[in-house]
Amino acid sequence: MLNNRVSNQAPSSIRDRNGPCISVNNLKKQYGKSNAFTLDGISFDVKYGTVFGFLGPNGAGKTTTLKILTTLLSPTSGNVSIFGKDIIRKQSEIKKKIGVVSQNPSFEANLTVERALDLYGLLWGLHDSRVRKNKVNEILSTFDLESIRNSKNDELSIGQRRRVQLAREFIHGEDMDLLFLDEPTVGLDPSARRMLLDYIKKHVMSGLTVFFTTHIMEEAEYLCDEIAIIDNGRIIAFDTPTGLKQKYGGANKIIEITFKEVLTQSFIDLLKKIIISKENSDGNQSRKDNTTNTTSHIDINETYPNAVTITVNNVEEVISEILQLVSKNGMQIESISINPPSFEEVFLSIVNDENSSRNNERK
Amino acid sequence: MKSMNDYIIGYSIILLVYRNIVAAIDKMFLIWQIAFPVVYIFVAGYAYSALIGDQGIAIGSLTVTYVSFLTAGMIGFNVMNGSTIAGAIIWNDKRNGMFQQILVMPFNKIQYVIANLITLILIGLGSAAVIMLIGFPTIFHDINITLWSIPYTIYALVAGSIFFGSFTIILSTRMKSSEGYNVISNGLFLFFAFVSSAFYPAEGLPQPLAAAFYVNPLTYIVDITRAGIFAQVSMFTNIEVVILGLLSSAVFLIATRSIIKMEA
Repeated sequence: MLNNRVSNQAPSSIRDRNGPCISVNNLKKQYGKSNAFTLDGISFDVKYGTVFGFLGPNGAGKTTTLKILTTLLSPTSGNVSIFGKDIIRKQSEIKKKIGVVSQNPSFEANLTVERALDLYGLLWGLHDSRVRKNKVNEILSTFDLESIRNSKNDELSIGQRRRVQLAREFIHGEDMDLLFLDEPTVGLDPSARRMLLDYIKKHVMSGLTVFFTTHIMEEAEYLCDEIAIIDNGRIIAFDTPTGLKQKYGGANKIIEITFKEVLTQSFIDLLKKIIISKENSDGNQSRKDNTTNTTSHIDINETYPNAVTITVNNVEEVISEILQLVSKNGMQIESISINPPSFEEVFLSIVNDENSSRNNERK
Repeated sequence: MKSMNDYIIGYSIILLVYRNIVAAIDKMFLIWQIAFPVVYIFVAGYAYSALIGDQGIAIGSLTVTYVSFLTAGMIGFNVMNGSTIAGAIIWNDKRNGMFQQILVMPFNKIQYVIANLITLILIGLGSAAVIMLIGFPTIFHDINITLWSIPYTIYALVAGSIFFGSFTIILSTRMKSSEGYNVISNGLFLFFAFVSSAFYPAEGLPQPLAAAFYVNPLTYIVDITRAGIFAQVSMFTNIEVVILGLLSSAVFLIATRSIIKMEA
C-alpha cells in the first residue's frame, strides 16, 4: 500500500492568499442543442497548495470540466474563478499561471527533446538563454531524459514521450501556481510513475496546487488531499480519501478464501445463500445509518476456480457460517484473509450505488 | 511583476511566429518551395520560349520575353504554393496535440491565426527574394523596379499570402482527415494555378476562359506582382489592388472565425 500523505498545510508563500484556488459554482455545460447537460450544475472548491482529485467513470464529465477550467471550452452557465479571477474575463492572466498536461499526447514532431524543452521555455517567457539552458538541463536530469535529449519524438517510446510531455510543464517553474494533470501516468512504468507522483508532491509542498484526474485509484489515494467523484455530470461524492473510505467503505470487509479443491456450482450457490440471508437479517440496519451503501456480494475468480472474494458488512457472522458450511461439505481451506475495502472498491461502490438509485428513480 | 516583453504589442505573436519557423515547418518543404519555381523557370521557361519565338509578351506598354514573364509569374505563384504552410501548420498542430497545448498557454486563437499568416508572409517574401535573385539572369534585361512600383509587388505578395493562407486555414478547419485536406487543396490549387495568368497571359484567350481568369485571385496577385517588377502600373492594376484587398480581408475574417469556432 502506498503511503506518505501530503500535508494539507499550504506553504508560507501562498498561505496568505484568500479564498480557494479554484472555485466552481453551479457549472453547467450543454453541447449544441441537445437537451442533456454534460455538466449538470456542479460546484466545488480547490484549496491552495493541495492536490485535488477529480474522479469518475468514462463519459462522466471530467474532460469537459477540465476543458472549461483550462479555458478551452466556455460554460453554458455557472461561475468559475481561478486565483479569484473570473475564467472568462481574466483568461490571459490565469493562463500565465497554469500548466496543463492533457490526456492526449502533444509534441513538436520536428524537434529533439532538448530543443523542444528550450522552445517551450521561451514560449513561457524564459528569455535569457543561459537561464533557459540551466532550466532545461535541470528538467532533463530530474525526469531522467538525459539519454534521449538528442532524440526526436518519433524515436521515443510511449512512456518517454509521456515523460517529456510532463517535464515540459515544469519548465515555467516558479510562475506556475496551478497544474492540471489529466491522467498523467498513462503509459509510464511503475518507477517513472512513482517518480512523477513524488515530484508532484514535492512541488505541492512548495506551493503548487494540483488538479488531478486518474483512473488509477491507488494513485488518487496516494496523492490527493481531497477527492470529488463525478458521474453523469453531477458530483456524487466529495471528501478526503480517508473520509470517502469511512463514509462509503464503512463496515464492509473483503473476505478472500482459497480452497484446496475447485469449487462446484452447488457449493457457490450455498455460499450465496448465506450472504443473502445474512444481509437480509443484519444489513438493513447498517444501511439505514448510512455508514455503508455496498450490497454484499460474491465474486468468483475465473482464473483460479478454487478462490472466492466475498464483500460483506457483517464479517463475523458470515465467516462462522462459511466455516460451518466448509466443514459440512468436507472442503479444505488453503488460505483466508479479511481486509478493509480498497479505494477502488469504495469508488466502484459509490458509482454503482449512484447508478442503482438513478435506475430506481426511472422505474 | 510584468516584464518589458509584456508591454510589447504582439509579443505573443512574435513568439508564435518563431515557434512556427523553428518547429512547425518541415525543412524539406522550404527547399521545395525554392527548388520548384527555379526548376520551372529554367526548364519550362526556356522550353516554351522556343515555341513562342521572339515575339515576346506584352505587359502594359512593355514587351518582355516569356522567361521574364514566367519568372515574375512564378514569384506570385509561389505565394499560393507556400500558403499550404498555414493549413499544414494547423493540421500538424491538431494531429500532434500542439493546437490544444498552445491554447492553454498564454496565447489565444486570434494570435495563433495571425502568427500563422505572418509566418506565411515571411516565407512568401523570403522565397520571392530568393527566386528573384536566382532568376535574375533571366529577367534582368526587362526588369524595371522603381520606388513607386515595388510597393505594388510587396502588396501583392502580402495580400496574396493572407488570401491563400486564410483559404488553407479554412480548409484545414473543415476537413476531418489529412487525406481529405490534401485532395481538396491540391484539386483547388490546380485550378488556381492553371486558370490564372501565372503561366500565360489572359489576352487572346477564349472569352469564357479569360473571364474565369479574373474569378481567380492568383491572377490579381501575379498581375500586380508583374506591374511592380516591370513598372507597368495602370488604372486596371489599381482596381486589381482593391479587389485583392477586399478578397483577402473577407477570407481572413472567415478564417479567423473558423479557428475561433474550432474546438481545441
